[in-house]
Amino acid sequence: MTIVIAVLLIVGLSFLFTVGLRSGVAVDDGRQASNPQQRPVLGGSDPETHALQRFHIRYYTMTLLFVAFEMEMMFMYPWAVVFVEEGPKALAEMGMFLAILSVGILYGWKEGIFEWE
Amino acid sequence: MMIFVLAFGMLILFLTFGIWFAAVLDGVFSRRLSGQSAVGLLAPFHAAAVYLTQQRLRTEAPDQLNWFLSIAGYLSVAAIGLAVVPFGPDLAVIGLDTSVVFWGACESLIVVLIFLHGWSPNAPLSLIGAYRYVAIGLPIMLPSMFVLIAAAIPAQSLDLREIVASQETMWNVIRQPLGLPLFLLLGLSLTLRGPFDYADSEDLAGGTSAEDSGANRAGWQVARLAMLVGFSAVASTAFLGGYLGPVLPGFVWLVLKTLVVMATVIWLSHLLARMPVARMLGLIWKILLPISFLDLLWAGLVALA
Amino acid sequence: MGMNWIAKLAAKAPVPIFIARGNDAPDETDKLHLNPNLSIVDTPRAASILLVAGTIPHALTAHLHRLHDQLPHPRATIFWHSSPTDQLSSALGVTHGDDLGSFLLQTRAALLTGERASEADVLPDEPANVWRGVGPHGQGGKGMMGGTPYGRPMAMTDDDMRDGLKLDAYTADFGPFLTMLPSGMILKITLQGDLFQKVAVVSPPYEDARQGREIRTLLKLLGLPALANRLLIENAHCEAGFKRLVTLSGVRRAIPPDLGRTHDGSDVRSRFEHMLNDPSNPQNLHLMGLGLGDLLEGREWQEAMLILNSFDNTSLRKICANTPTDATDDMGDSSEQASGGHEGMDHSSHGGH
Repeated sequence: MTIVIAVLLIVGLSFLFTVGLRSGVAVDDGRQASNPQQRPVLGGSDPETHALQRFHIRYYTMTLLFVAFEMEMMFMYPWAVVFVEEGPKALAEMGMFLAILSVGILYGWKEGIFEWE
Repeated sequence: MMIFVLAFGMLILFLTFGIWFAAVLDGVFSRRLSGQSAVGLLAPFHAAAVYLTQQRLRTEAPDQLNWFLSIAGYLSVAAIGLAVVPFGPDLAVIGLDTSVVFWGACESLIVVLIFLHGWSPNAPLSLIGAYRYVAIGLPIMLPSMFVLIAAAIPAQSLDLREIVASQETMWNVIRQPLGLPLFLLLGLSLTLRGPFDYADSEDLAGGTSAEDSGANRAGWQVARLAMLVGFSAVASTAFLGGYLGPVLPGFVWLVLKTLVVMATVIWLSHLLARMPVARMLGLIWKILLPISFLDLLWAGLVALA
Repeated sequence: MGMNWIAKLAAKAPVPIFIARGNDAPDETDKLHLNPNLSIVDTPRAASILLVAGTIPHALTAHLHRLHDQLPHPRATIFWHSSPTDQLSSALGVTHGDDLGSFLLQTRAALLTGERASEADVLPDEPANVWRGVGPHGQGGKGMMGGTPYGRPMAMTDDDMRDGLKLDAYTADFGPFLTMLPSGMILKITLQGDLFQKVAVVSPPYEDARQGREIRTLLKLLGLPALANRLLIENAHCEAGFKRLVTLSGVRRAIPPDLGRTHDGSDVRSRFEHMLNDPSNPQNLHLMGLGLGDLLEGREWQEAMLILNSFDNTSLRKICANTPTDATDDMGDSSEQASGGHEGMDHSSHGGH
């Protein structure tokens, strides 16, 4: 229960601080940004379109490999706790697991997923 | 209850003092390296005041809610990072049996928050920064979590308090020498610094913060520094024995070690060059990740020996 | 109007300025980085004062006005070694001999106390385009793609040069006052994600010899702004300490090999090395019809910026001359113009006013 309160307190205070920066102390005269002020920074040029777009992400294949490793992390947490009890067996098991996943890295490397394709 | 209030008070003090000190250190290192005289101790307050006198601009059709959430959320996550750190035996604001997992979960949220910060202004340079950061922010978490798990092995626990206790005889930085250097790289990435600053870098005129003015800019910079404090405290707890130390009270030791880690991160951030993002992506997967496997193997063998 | 305590604190900080360079910017402009009373920022959003250094060519005044309007209030413009434009007649001028640093401090103090009113916008306060379309968000009836939702059209799909995925291509003019581009240069860039798909020159960089500015920009682009500023100190590039720091930073390894290769085999790494060791001697590069498209297309953003800044000004102007130009319709015209004809899709006629 204390933990939930602590998290809520921290998040609440952080939000309060950010709101306070915006409203409390600023000398801001409440001026709204005018239309020319709202234009995105392009060093003096004017954009044709909105910036938000179906952005061409160049590393999307890498993220698939990332998901595989991130899931593996879930197994590693309990593994770390019982490691000393289980002894060399745990080391061998995790070694095998990582070795299999590492084949994924090699395959991805060969396919060029770490390039900006 | 009293203990909680005490710990929370220490947290606020630590964070405030840490943010100020990090800003001073940052100024000292960058001006020393550029061959100029150092700045005063009050310079961070003056700089913050400048932002607070400026108008907070919005852009064309921004995502106002997410703009706010990214800044406030970044600060929250930074403070939570500090809260899981034990200030003494059984003196942590968030005393959780699985605090390593909890911290790891918070840390992965940061990628989302930094992305949102670049996405919400609806501006080209910040958008590029946002998407580019994800490419590095995600994979750099793998080696850093591996070394953090390696630090948990000798403690047989995912509790940072236990991890500190397990370092009574020998600090993890000696027992697992590869751990701390790899972990520091995560610090550079989480705080958008130097070689890992793919979000707010100069080639994008400030990237995700290129559109920040006034209070937004002040809030973002404070959150970045707060993250640095939180990260340094976690690093010194996991690898430098946290509050352990002779003569002085435990909290003082923790603060001192945190400052050392902080100074190292800031120093590295000014000294190391930033490579194009594809090159860094390859470096992380092909070199840093295998090194973190080695660290894990090393930690396992040492724990069994 | 008195100052509140925040304003009093702010008055003690270095003045955040954004520099817009003209084609005859004074040599001391770079040295302003060393002035402890100033902090030179990369984006107009962080600046209190817009410093116009040298004369802005007539063709770029519209860009200057757009840049001016992006600064947050309270703001001021100072023309240094040039005279204010008609639209910015309230701006201040500083002539030769005056101490610029203290002048900027005074101006900022006057802004904070309210003695000096914050400058108003030059451009009219109206949206870039009229909203047009039948949908509730201004879209034209074909999902979100048509019309001008929230005042601008959306980016349109285009074939990608690398993986053939049909995603949105973002086209815009970048420059002339972006810190990572050579000053005066405007490029019309089509990006697929952060990859350069197409590039055309709208305006080449100024003719002035950029004394050592390329190497400092390169160092900044490589994440070493402190070392870049160190180069401003007399003969810093010969110092053993500086050389050691450059080696320690791993900057040579950070530049990908074969990046921006020209016909005679020089690449960004070798040009960087040359500029670092022998800044006074320009390199004679054989460019033979090499255009910006050959160098930049297919490059990621940071790589492209490194390539651009690895050429000295003369070579870069030659490369620009080999590149197809793109004449824009708003040269020298301060009024707002809509950018029509985007991809020839269903919103080809969103007129300005």
